[in-house]
Amino acid sequence: MRAIPAVALLLASLACHAETPQQIRQIYVAEASSQQAGFTPSAKRGEAFFRQRFANNDKMPACTSCHTDSPLNAGEHAVTGKSIKPLAVAANPNRLSDPAKVEKWFGRNCKEVVGRACTPAEKADFVTFLSEVR
Amino acid sequence: MQKILVWDWPVRLGHWLMVGGFILAWLTSESESLRLVHVLSGGVVVAVALFRLPWGFIGSRYARFVDFVRGPGSVVDYLRSLIRLDPDHHTGHNPAGGWAIVLLLGLGIATGLVGWAMYNELGGDWLEELHEGLAATMLTVVFIHVAGVISGSLLHGENLVRAMITGHKQGSPDAAIASARPLAAIILIAWVGVAAWWLAS
Repeated sequence: MRAIPAVALLLASLACHAETPQQIRQIYVAEASSQQAGFTPSAKRGEAFFRQRFANNDKMPACTSCHTDSPLNAGEHAVTGKSIKPLAVAANPNRLSDPAKVEKWFGRNCKEVVGRACTPAEKADFVTFLSEVR
Repeated sequence: MQKILVWDWPVRLGHWLMVGGFILAWLTSESESLRLVHVLSGGVVVAVALFRLPWGFIGSRYARFVDFVRGPGSVVDYLRSLIRLDPDHHTGHNPAGGWAIVLLLGLGIATGLVGWAMYNELGGDWLEELHEGLAATMLTVVFIHVAGVISGSLLHGENLVRAMITGHKQGSPDAAIASARPLAAIILIAWVGVAAWWLAS
């Protein structure tokens, strides 16, 4: 009978396809490892990537243009001024719970800010940073 | 049969504003740098469609819903006549075009209002899915509409795109509308400006 809550929780999580930040990180780590043997994700590299300025887009040269200096803060859209919920899982538990959504925003924002698709290694580092930053 | 005035100014201007707004909104849908352009052009589509609803009751003869909203039977008859390569001529909208108008107005308003709710964070991620689904449905109807316009133009030997610019189509002189209603077009422009700006702010 003690198994019932656990089963219910499992069913609930299946029903809303929720995944944990660890699972999403694992997806990118696996992808990065297949290209680069012995790859281990690094929150430090992820943070450096978050702060890096790319000479691609004047209005939004870096992640920090909209997401502020810390992913723990709520951000502000550089063009529209609309508020953006924090990226860090510690500040916003809904982050990194939907792999499709994470991939969609990497796709859009890497293209526009970085000027190219991000590599699986960059994504793994970035996701690690967002799930560990306190 | 001669060239007569059929489409008033609000119908023509509204049509092309909606075309421009939809194309721009589609092209800017993936961009954050162009987010304001996207929201403004979507706002233009919503504003035109909202103007078109009352105009469908108080506009000139062929702008009115009673003139072109027909039951499925008439649509089937018209499509059959198209397939026979001998389409029935309608001075105003044909029954298939009438349904394109109703669908595109409805989808334009729905897509825009869901987008507006997203922009103002009035719901969850499901709004995003709905917005994209509605926009894709609208694009499908646009393609069908354009295909219908091209085939109708070729088969009638009447350029329907040019008619939507000049307002003139073939018809008997007593079927013409009396005025192109330029004043209402000025009100349309003012309304679109205010409403689109408000939706994007």
